[in-house]
Amino acid sequence: MATTEFRNARFRASFADPEQLLHAVAHLRSAGHRVLDTYTPFPVHGMDEAMGLRPSRLPRACLAFAILGLALAAGLQIWTSAIDYPLIMGGKPLLAIPAFIPVAFELTVLLAGLGVVASFFVAARMRPRLRIPDLHPGANDDCFILAAELAADVQFPAVARELAGLGASETSLLVEDRFQRDTSFWDRSAGAGALLLACLPAFLILALVPVLNRDFQKRNLAWDGGMGAPLSAQAFDASGVLPGGEVLQAPPPGTLSRRGDPPLAFGPGKAEAERAGRELQNPYQPTQGRFNRGKAIYERVCATCHGREGDNNGSMIVARGAFAPTVLVSPVVRGMPDGRIFHIATFGGPTKMKGYGDLLSREDRWNVVLYVRELQKGSVKPAPAPVPAGVQP
Amino acid sequence: MSETFTVPARDLTKSGIPTLADIGERLRGGAWAFVLLGAALLGLGLVLQAERGWGNLLLTAFNLACVGLGGLFLLAIQSITGARWSDPILKAHRAMPALLPVAGVLMLMLWFGLATLYPWARPDAATQHALHGRLGWLNPPFFFGRVALIFAAWIWVGRRLTQQGKGAAPFILVFALTFSVANFDWLMSLEPVWSSTIFAIYGFSGMFLQGIAIVTISAIVLRRVGLLPAVSKAQNHDLGKLLFAFSSFWAYIFLSQFLLIWYANLPEETGPMRLLLQGRWMPLFYLNLILNFFAPFVLLLQRRAKTNETVLLATCALLLAGRWLDLYLQIMPPVLHGLGPLFGPAELGGILLQLGLGHLACWPVFMKDANPAQELPQGG
Repeated sequence: MATTEFRNARFRASFADPEQLLHAVAHLRSAGHRVLDTYTPFPVHGMDEAMGLRPSRLPRACLAFAILGLALAAGLQIWTSAIDYPLIMGGKPLLAIPAFIPVAFELTVLLAGLGVVASFFVAARMRPRLRIPDLHPGANDDCFILAAELAADVQFPAVARELAGLGASETSLLVEDRFQRDTSFWDRSAGAGALLLACLPAFLILALVPVLNRDFQKRNLAWDGGMGAPLSAQAFDASGVLPGGEVLQAPPPGTLSRRGDPPLAFGPGKAEAERAGRELQNPYQPTQGRFNRGKAIYERVCATCHGREGDNNGSMIVARGAFAPTVLVSPVVRGMPDGRIFHIATFGGPTKMKGYGDLLSREDRWNVVLYVRELQKGSVKPAPAPVPAGVQP
Repeated sequence: MSETFTVPARDLTKSGIPTLADIGERLRGGAWAFVLLGAALLGLGLVLQAERGWGNLLLTAFNLACVGLGGLFLLAIQSITGARWSDPILKAHRAMPALLPVAGVLMLMLWFGLATLYPWARPDAATQHALHGRLGWLNPPFFFGRVALIFAAWIWVGRRLTQQGKGAAPFILVFALTFSVANFDWLMSLEPVWSSTIFAIYGFSGMFLQGIAIVTISAIVLRRVGLLPAVSKAQNHDLGKLLFAFSSFWAYIFLSQFLLIWYANLPEETGPMRLLLQGRWMPLFYLNLILNFFAPFVLLLQRRAKTNETVLLATCALLLAGRWLDLYLQIMPPVLHGLGPLFGPAELGGILLQLGLGHLACWPVFMKDANPAQELPQGG
C-alpha cells in the first residue's frame, strides 16, 4: 500500500471566522502549499471546493448497498411467495409485484442507510474508543483550523506572517504525523469490483427465479396484477348459503376441490343419499394400504364421536352427555350400501353429523367406508386407546 | 462559492443586438399562431367527436390552472420559509400565476359540454341509483358556482402574493382546500361512482412536479439568453434535487393510491384502474410511470447529472410530457366510453393551445419585472 509522502514541514493555523479560513485555504493553495485538512465546529459551505477535494466516494457505496437491498428483498419475496411456498392470497398472482414494492423499498432504504454509515466508518477508520487529540485546543469549539504542508523552498516564518495578515490568530509548525495515510482500497478498481461482487448472490437469486420456478410463465406473471381475472372465487360474490347472501362463510356452490377431484354427481339430502346408495360403488380396489389409511383416518376423525370400534364406546360426546351418534356396527348401518355411507361421510348425516367432503379427499372417504365395513364384520381388533403416561386409569 | 458557467449565451440574431422586447415580439407571433391553430384543431375535434373535444378542453384548462398554481405554490413556500437559494430565479415563477384567469375562462366554457363529459349532468342522472344521491353536490349551477369561487380565490390570493408578497400562509390553507375540491369536482366526478380519497394529493404531486420542471426550464433558458446572470450551478443543483425528490414523491403517492385499490380489488374502486391495466390503455399506463418516475430517477440519480443543463432540460421535457399523459389517463378513459387511446387533431390542438396561451399570458408579466429595453449580452 502506498502511503502519503511528506517532503516538507507541516504547520497549522487557527482562525476565529469561517470566511477567513476559506480565504486562507484558497490563498495557501494558490501559493503552492498543500492543504492537508481543516477542522471546523460546523460544516463550512464551499470548503470542499476551496480545498480541492474530490467528490465523496460514499454515494458509490450507497448505490451498491441500495441495489443489494433491492435484490435481497425481491429475491426473498419471490422465493418465499412464488417458489418455495406458493399460496394464493386474495386472488392475486403468486408473483404479485405491487405487493412486493413496500418491502423492497424499505429494505433498499435500510441497507443503503446502514451501509453508507458503515462504509463511512470503514473509510474514515473510525472505531469505538478511538481517541485523537485535538490539533488545537479550540478545534471543536470556536476555532477554525487548517493544517498544511509547506511548498518547497518556502520558509515557515514568511508563511506565518502572510497568514497573520489574513487573520490567523495562531500559527505553528506541527511535529506529529497524523496525516500519514494509506491510499484507500476502495479507490482502486479492485474496490469497485469487490462491491459488485458483494451484490452477486442477490443477483444470482433473481436470475435463478425463472429457472427454478417451472410454471413461472403460466400462472405467476399477470401484467394487470391479477385485477382483471383473480385466481380464486371473487371475494364478495354472494355465497347463497346464508340468508341475505352473506359471504366468507362457506365455499360458493360449485366450488371445486383443489385436489383435482371431479365434481360429485350427488347433492345433499335424504333422497340423494338413497340414490347414492343405489348408484355408487367403491371405485378403489380394497388393498392393505387403503385399509390402513382408512383406519388411520377413522381413528383420527370419526372415532371422536363414533368410538374406536364404531359402538360409541369411548365417544367423547357421549361421555360428556351431548347425544349419542348412530352406532356404526348396528344392523341399520350394516344394511346400508357402501354408497350411502360414502354420501353421509361427504354431506353429513340425517341428524347432527356434518359433512367431511371439504376436509377429506374422495379416496380417503372411500377408505373410511372400507374400514367401517371391516369394523362391522367384527374382524378388526382396533388398537387399544392409548393411556396417557403418568395417569392412573 | 458560486461557479459561473462557461457555456456561451446563445446568439439569437444575425444582425444587431436584440432587446428583450424584440424577443417578445418575435415569440408573440409564434404564440398567436399556436393559439389560433390549437383552437381551430380543438374546434374541429369538437365537431368531429364532441366528447373527445370537450375532454381535451378540460385537460387544457386544468393543466393551465395547475401551471399557475405551481408557480404560486413555489412562491408561497419560499416566502414562508424565507428561502434565499431561489432569489435568482424568482422571476420565472412570478409570471406563472398569470395563467389562472385564462384557465378560469376555459373552465367556464365547459358549461356547454357538461352533459357530454359528466354522467351526473345528464338528464337521466336522477333516475340512476348510483347517481341521484350525489346530485345535491354535483349539479350544474352549484358546480359552476364552485368553479367561479375557486378561481376567484386563486386569482385574488395569487395577485396579493405576486404583487405585494403577502398572504403566503393563508394561500397554502386556501389552496389545500380549493385544490382538493377542484380535483374531486373536475376530474374525479368524470367517473362519479369511483372514489379515491388520496386523489387530490395525487393531483398535487403532479402539479408541483410540473411547476418545478417549468421553473427549471425557464431558469436555464433565461440564463442562456443572458437574462438571469445570477443563476449558478448551485441553483441548478437545487432544482435538480427538487425534481428528483418530487418525482419520487409522485411515484410514492401513485403507489399509495394504486396499491390499496389493487389489493382490495373492490368492484367500485377497481373499475377505472382495471380499464387502464388491460388492453389498449396498458402501454400508456406503464409509459406514464416511466416518464414521471423511472426515467427522471435514472437520469438524475448522479450528482453530476443534477447540475448538467442538458440532462435537466431533457428530464423536464419528459416530465411535462408525463404530466400531460397523466392527466390524459385521468380524463380520457371514462370520457371516451371504451374507445381506445386516441391522439389526433383534438389532442394536438389542446397541446398547442397550452403552449401558446402559456407564452401569451406569462410573457407580459415577466416583462413588467424586467427592463424591456435591456440588451441581450452577446457571446460569452
